[in-house]
Amino acid sequence: MSTFVEKLRQYSKPGYYDEFDYHWTMTIDLDRCTGCEACVVACQAENNLPIVGEERFAQSREIKWIRIERYWEGEYPNIKMGFIPMLCQHCDDAPCETACPVYATYHNQDGLNTQIYNRCIGTRTCAVYCPYEVRYFNWFTYTWDEPLEQQLNPDVSVREKGVMEKCTFCIQRIRIAKDNAKDDDRRRVRDGEVVPACVQSCPTEAMLFGNSKDPEAKVSKMMKNTRGYTVLEELNTTPSIVYLKKVHA
Amino acid sequence: MAILGSFAFEEDFLGAARKLKSSGFDKLSLLSPLPLEEAQEIMGLEKSPVRHFSLAGAIFGAIAGFAMAVATSLVFILPTGGRAIITVPPFLIITYEMTILFGVLFTLLGFHFVSGLPAWRDKPYLTSAGIDRFVVIVEGAAADQVARAEAIIRDAGADEIRHVEEDQ
Amino acid sequence: MFDHGQPSYAEVNKDILSTMLETGPKYWMLLGMTMSVAGICFFMPWIYQLFVGVGAAGMNHNAVWGSYLSNFIFWIGLSHSGTLLSAVLHITNSPWRKSIYRSAEAMTLFSLMTATLFVMVHLGRVWFVHWSFPIPNQMGLWPNFRSPLMFDVMAITTYLTASSIFIYMGSVPDFAAVRDASTGLRRRLYTIFSFGWRGTAREWHTLGWAYTFFAVFVIPLAVSVHSIVSWDFALSAVPGFHHTIFAPYFVCGAIYSGTAGIVTVMYCLRKFLGFERYIGQVHLDSLGKLLITLSLIWSYINILELFTTWFGGTSFELEALSFRLTGFYAPLYWEMLIFCAFVPLLMLFKKIRWSWNKMLLISILINIGMLTERFIIVATSQPRKFLPDSFGYYVPSWIEISISVGSFAIFVTLFLIFIKWVPAISIYEVKETLKPLRRNV
Repeated sequence: MSTFVEKLRQYSKPGYYDEFDYHWTMTIDLDRCTGCEACVVACQAENNLPIVGEERFAQSREIKWIRIERYWEGEYPNIKMGFIPMLCQHCDDAPCETACPVYATYHNQDGLNTQIYNRCIGTRTCAVYCPYEVRYFNWFTYTWDEPLEQQLNPDVSVREKGVMEKCTFCIQRIRIAKDNAKDDDRRRVRDGEVVPACVQSCPTEAMLFGNSKDPEAKVSKMMKNTRGYTVLEELNTTPSIVYLKKVHA
Repeated sequence: MAILGSFAFEEDFLGAARKLKSSGFDKLSLLSPLPLEEAQEIMGLEKSPVRHFSLAGAIFGAIAGFAMAVATSLVFILPTGGRAIITVPPFLIITYEMTILFGVLFTLLGFHFVSGLPAWRDKPYLTSAGIDRFVVIVEGAAADQVARAEAIIRDAGADEIRHVEEDQ
Repeated sequence: MFDHGQPSYAEVNKDILSTMLETGPKYWMLLGMTMSVAGICFFMPWIYQLFVGVGAAGMNHNAVWGSYLSNFIFWIGLSHSGTLLSAVLHITNSPWRKSIYRSAEAMTLFSLMTATLFVMVHLGRVWFVHWSFPIPNQMGLWPNFRSPLMFDVMAITTYLTASSIFIYMGSVPDFAAVRDASTGLRRRLYTIFSFGWRGTAREWHTLGWAYTFFAVFVIPLAVSVHSIVSWDFALSAVPGFHHTIFAPYFVCGAIYSGTAGIVTVMYCLRKFLGFERYIGQVHLDSLGKLLITLSLIWSYINILELFTTWFGGTSFELEALSFRLTGFYAPLYWEMLIFCAFVPLLMLFKKIRWSWNKMLLISILINIGMLTERFIIVATSQPRKFLPDSFGYYVPSWIEISISVGSFAIFVTLFLIFIKWVPAISIYEVKETLKPLRRNV
């Protein structure tokens, strides 16, 4: 009986219910970002993102789990352009998660905001609730012309029409790294063992990925950088991605 | 043996009903094409037990609603949005809706229970009672009382009196 | 109460039942027409969309909710007239309710069904919609009761159940009247429908109590249903959705458009079923007064919404507001203001309030305005969320427009079927409004 009450009490507390080993975090140094979109291409290849074609792109129905947002500052001729790579922020207090009536999106114990395609019924509420607009809807079932279907990643499912999808922090790579760690009798994945496709492909190493629960990880140190900020902080979504401000010389 | 007396006027009908009641005919049915409060008073109907059903339904619904929300979220622990697993404010909305749902359903049940409907067996009835006639039905009158009941009905101004065999 | 002299009880039965039992060729033509429009404009595009994907509609990444949801809110709103109004007027004992409430409640029921259809059309994978019901499924997974959409599922299911029961129980004595007036199969059917109702004092007594309790349950339910629909929007952080005023705003707007809908339906009943005797000036006048009140409340809430947004001064909210007032859909916004805030003020004049034709026009304009209002809420907030990179437009596709048109045909079809199955005016309650039969007349 007392354990039952304890459990009830535990479940009535907001936030996490246990200490877990991981909280996956990313830092993006905007000072280093050149806007080359290598990350966009890498993500497209890794996660089986469909190529929607020119017409659907014009209807703004493209699927890009990570996109480079361009912002201009100042007036011509003193104009400056800045880039922000925008991907799912994996918010700890994600507005999208509570919105789903069927639990197709929830928070897992690694601090990831996950999307379960098989459960999704396509209400699209999560995409409306997301302030970062990083959730993409499959308006159609997309197919790959031969021989392009050969390059699909076997570790990632191909989504059908009517399903919401978004950045997973390359959860398939996290899964493999965790399996390897388990095989080697390690409790945790080593720092740098998991690298999402976008981070891997960044030529300027603007992005860094790691476990912020590990104080020795590079990402934990980078997060403490004074240039660090989170996007739309005032909405209290507590994102897992820390951006490092661009410093103008 | 059932005696049916049909009246064209409400006041005659009510008069007959009152008189029959005071003369000891207890198995009375007062048929009218519209609800008459006086007729209900004569039959001694005050507060309907339906209200107990409504209350029971509402309480059951409230408990069931909250319990459902809590229990189903404990079956599969899926944290969302940094909220607690047992999140009271949204569950109260579920509770509210279920209170009303079961309140309504139990009231419906109560209606059937109290009114004795559905009753599809043939019962003494005049179709004109659904249009513009007020009908008094005296049932279960002893053979020697039938004439007396008939007299009361006739004296009150009934325009039609009928005898119907009651089925057992 | 009665413009053309008081009918007798028998006449009431005859007048109302004849609309049910006598069917002319015009009715069948109209029914056939609405059914084919519903099939061609609603179901065929929908089936196409089921095969292709929701991409057949005009929604895109910047606005993932579109006209399907605005239509959903519109129909839910329209449903708020009947049952709510009927229940409130029943409890406050207003005699003018009695000859209009049956059709008003039918309107509730059918617009709710249409609204539910729009949820189905909206969903990306409607074939899995049962996962959002609290019933066990093969995944061992239950729905998320923290989701505002789950509130919706619960609220609409409850509302549909409660208002079906409400209209059915109110009709039981009338089903008995139909039973008595008909023969053959219809008689047997209505014997079942009427539960063997005889109209004894006990039956009336129980029905009266049960009915009052239904009314008591339905009023808070109806208010909660549209509040919950508004929370689908207000619980998000989206500028233009995230207002605390949304619940009262939606409820008020719902009753407003619903009452206007009643006026339209009353006009049609009077005109096509010959109910001039039962639906008279008193009803039109009362509904007109109600409409003015609601229009003023609605305008007030709109002003308040603009004011709080401006006073709050958040750049996101201001951006969304300026897009709404001056952007792509600004003409629709101003159209809505004219139709819903200014045109109804004409009803302050008795001359207009007492004219059926003018009231019909105003009621239709109000509902056009309300349909636009819902569209503006959905279509102007999402494309102006937070990140300017995702600013965009949303324009409905032909499929969406066709489905919206088809939904009206569905509603009319259901209503046409209804008037042949249920007496469109409550027979026994009209009798209650007549002077009691006395010997000394």
